[in-house]
Amino acid sequence: MNIKELLNKKRLYIDGGMGTLLQKRGLQPGELPETWNLTHPDDITDIHLSYLRAGSNIITTNTFGANCLKFDNLSDIISAALKNAKRAIELFDGNRDECFIALDVGPLGKMLEPLGDMPFERAVEIFSESIKLGAENGADLVIIETMTDSYETKAALLAAKESCDLPVFVTNAYDETGKLLTGASPKAMIALLEGLRADAIGINCSLGPHQMKEIAREYVKYSSLPVIVSPNAGMPRTENGKTVFDVDAEEFSLVMKDIAEMGAAILGGCCGTTPDFIKATVEKTKNLPFSPAVNKNLTLVSSYTHAIEIGNDPVLIGERINPTGKKRFKEALRQGDINYIVSEGIAQEEKGVHILDVNVGLPEIDEDSMLVNSVKELQSVLDLPLQLDTAKKSAMEKAMRIYNGKPLVNSVNGKQEVMDEILPLVKKYGGVVIALTIDETGIPETAKGRMEIARKILLECEKYGIDKKDVIVDPLAMAVSANDNSAKITLDSVKLIKEKLGVKTSLGVSNVSFGLPSRETLNAYFLSLAFMNGLDCAIMNPFSDTMMGSYRTYMALMGKDKSCTEYIDFFKDFTLTGEKGTSAVKSDYTNEKPLVRAIVKGLKEPSYDEAQKALQVVEPLSVINEQIVPALDKVGKLFEEKKMYLPQLLMSAEAASKAFDAVKSVMKDTGLKESKKIVLATVKGDIHDIGKNIVKVLLENYGFTVIDLGKDVAPETVLEAAKNEKADIVGLSALMTTTTEAMAETVALLRKELPEVKTVVGGAVLTKEFAEKIGATFYAKDAMETVRFAQR
Amino acid sequence: MKENPIILHTSSCAEITPDKKMALRFMDCKELFGDMEEIYEESSEEYKKAAVFKAVYRKSSVTFFGEKGIRFDFCEIESESLRKNLEGCKSAFVFAATSGSAVDRLILRRTKLSAADGFITDCIASSGIEVFCDFINDEMKEGRTLKPRFSPGYGDVSLCCQGEILSFLDAYRKIGITLTEAYLMSPIKSVTAIVGILEEE
Repeated sequence: MNIKELLNKKRLYIDGGMGTLLQKRGLQPGELPETWNLTHPDDITDIHLSYLRAGSNIITTNTFGANCLKFDNLSDIISAALKNAKRAIELFDGNRDECFIALDVGPLGKMLEPLGDMPFERAVEIFSESIKLGAENGADLVIIETMTDSYETKAALLAAKESCDLPVFVTNAYDETGKLLTGASPKAMIALLEGLRADAIGINCSLGPHQMKEIAREYVKYSSLPVIVSPNAGMPRTENGKTVFDVDAEEFSLVMKDIAEMGAAILGGCCGTTPDFIKATVEKTKNLPFSPAVNKNLTLVSSYTHAIEIGNDPVLIGERINPTGKKRFKEALRQGDINYIVSEGIAQEEKGVHILDVNVGLPEIDEDSMLVNSVKELQSVLDLPLQLDTAKKSAMEKAMRIYNGKPLVNSVNGKQEVMDEILPLVKKYGGVVIALTIDETGIPETAKGRMEIARKILLECEKYGIDKKDVIVDPLAMAVSANDNSAKITLDSVKLIKEKLGVKTSLGVSNVSFGLPSRETLNAYFLSLAFMNGLDCAIMNPFSDTMMGSYRTYMALMGKDKSCTEYIDFFKDFTLTGEKGTSAVKSDYTNEKPLVRAIVKGLKEPSYDEAQKALQVVEPLSVINEQIVPALDKVGKLFEEKKMYLPQLLMSAEAASKAFDAVKSVMKDTGLKESKKIVLATVKGDIHDIGKNIVKVLLENYGFTVIDLGKDVAPETVLEAAKNEKADIVGLSALMTTTTEAMAETVALLRKELPEVKTVVGGAVLTKEFAEKIGATFYAKDAMETVRFAQR
Repeated sequence: MKENPIILHTSSCAEITPDKKMALRFMDCKELFGDMEEIYEESSEEYKKAAVFKAVYRKSSVTFFGEKGIRFDFCEIESESLRKNLEGCKSAFVFAATSGSAVDRLILRRTKLSAADGFITDCIASSGIEVFCDFINDEMKEGRTLKPRFSPGYGDVSLCCQGEILSFLDAYRKIGITLTEAYLMSPIKSVTAIVGILEEE
């Protein structure tokens, strides 16, 4: 019987710790345990055999750290490891048919980008290499274990799915807070791993059985897959200068019995556990009744920290990351201004949406890379799950691949061609897919017609093994101005589709008001009605107080807002007339113009307001030349005279930028643009970019065009950008002594290939002497000096 | 060789409050002006929510060789400044501390919103991890006299011994510190250091 079948028939047992046993047999501190596969094959076989005799069905190879980052002879290590495990099974005198060899895959010990320097695809490559070797050498399954980061877990599981057909088990290591080191909750990991089609999932390492109980309970509650639990032998403690674990085999097995009764299907041990622990666990649990994992029918989407369950309370999906009808947004896309997109995301999060829709398609831009970069940037600073919104298959695939979680996929519809393109992606990468009730014949005029399309899509999903819990039907909101019944048909569809098909629903609500006055009023009432009809997700504009008010009101009225707390909080700033109160700008009586004062003081909103006021009485150009520029000059001088500090300088620069925004809204060409273009980068190897960011903000506010290449940038990339952008100046930052070498290399390359381009360098460890030595044009001791240099 | 145990310590944010004066020093500021006060408070609040303090430390023997060589249990380092720092010590604590990756994300996020907010948050985080290191220092003390802590990267000690230090402490598995190819730590707000022990054994 293969292991996948066995999983649904009986409780299985994995082995326990390897490291502790190797140490007892003489493994030296600092020695790599994996080398023992070659140097001490008999010891390894013996350990495997002792676990088989203790009752383990699954033995894990001694390959926890076996990857090409650590070993040049990876192939030898892995083939020896498999050989040792196979020999143990040959020597085993029990039922060999129910013994399996799992290729053990541990973490790389590297942090993935953006927090570290390991690119996601490189991690996939490294894992693939080891897993291919394991499969070639006869592993029965793959166990990815002790993973402390969701993104790395995804890389490993994707690698396994792409490089072999073996079943894959995945276990994560949670700390005492019940989260992974990089923040994921159990539910978030369950969503991610189910989406990527792991065969069994669970928990191992870090904690003892007692501490693991609650996490195990969550797994059993939310997971539709068999749950694995492999605790340490308690928590580590020092005794006579040695690390010991505080739980013995008897106590361990008693807790494991509880965990088995909760419903965990696969039991094992981790650090500090020995064959005795497994033996005791098997004895106490082998006669307990077993029930296979059942589908929990939960619709889960996730980010790198948490999962959102769709189907309980209404879920709000922010619609603002979308260029449709937005001039400023289109401009940002054309300029590749991802910061603008990210700030739209953060602003929506602050308004209280649960998920962000991400649509960055414009005919004239490269949508694939724009979507990938937007997703990367958004998920580096925001923990909301994303709804990937593109009609382009290649962009969708790339974005789904690098997404750190289980996304919403927007969308498929009843057209065969579209389903053929998108559903295989959902099958491979995991996701909850939005299904629009439109097909080759258009949008049906009846609720029943729309339901039929939904049914057709569900049948097609079934062919790919996509469960209906991972499909959300959008029965399409149409303009009520075009058809008196259109809103009613949509509302009826929501109700009917939920009832008859048992799926979740979503709507882009604002379409309903198209062509009518006071759109927000109509949208807001429609939203409440839709919720009343059972709508699960609304794609909407969270910046509309009317819409958010409608949502808050619905929650309060339906008893979903304890003591109306959220409602009260939301409406606390509204006055009796329903208008939000505005706080008046304090004015003091000096001769300085209010705008200049606001900028010098670094007040952002007042700068914007004052600029608008000024624009009513003077020409835009005079606002710039007589108020904003003098204010910036004043600030620069104060900083140089040490009468003002760096944070204040930045605040003033940002306030000035707000004032510019106000001017730009009435005047397209401010005429202020410096003609100079500046490429900025933190050099290769350096992941600190705070200094470079500060320089960027200042340069931009002094009117320069800045191309920001980010951090950890290779010399060749800097050269290429300087060439393509026809840059006048290249600015390089390095923070650590170890990365100044890369700076020297970059400057040398630029001098050789583009001798006309000036270079300015800076950073904590740099000196004027070093800058001269490597041939940089200028050393700037701070951000203001860079501005002054650029102005020359 | 007697093997010294690795001690793991975690602290809640309630125990660790970034030192305002120190944060201001990192900002190169004497005091908070106007709106800065508000940004500082807001950044501190968010920092408190994000930071998870973890540290590991372990004792190592210390012997000297040649003119500036120092032999630890995990590697040998040639350095005048560290040798001077460890004068009279036969052993030292080696430690690694971090405030976790959520702090990195917070700084990234606040920088995206505003460079000033990001910079202030960065300085608060730098102060927070220093305060935590002081806290660990006190815990290690237990009546001993300790030398001032010395971090790789300072003086003439290169960052190249970071790998040995982190693996000696099992810092990746225990507290999640990783190294980039240029020997920088991630999470960024992490510290490794050597603390000489005087008057023992």
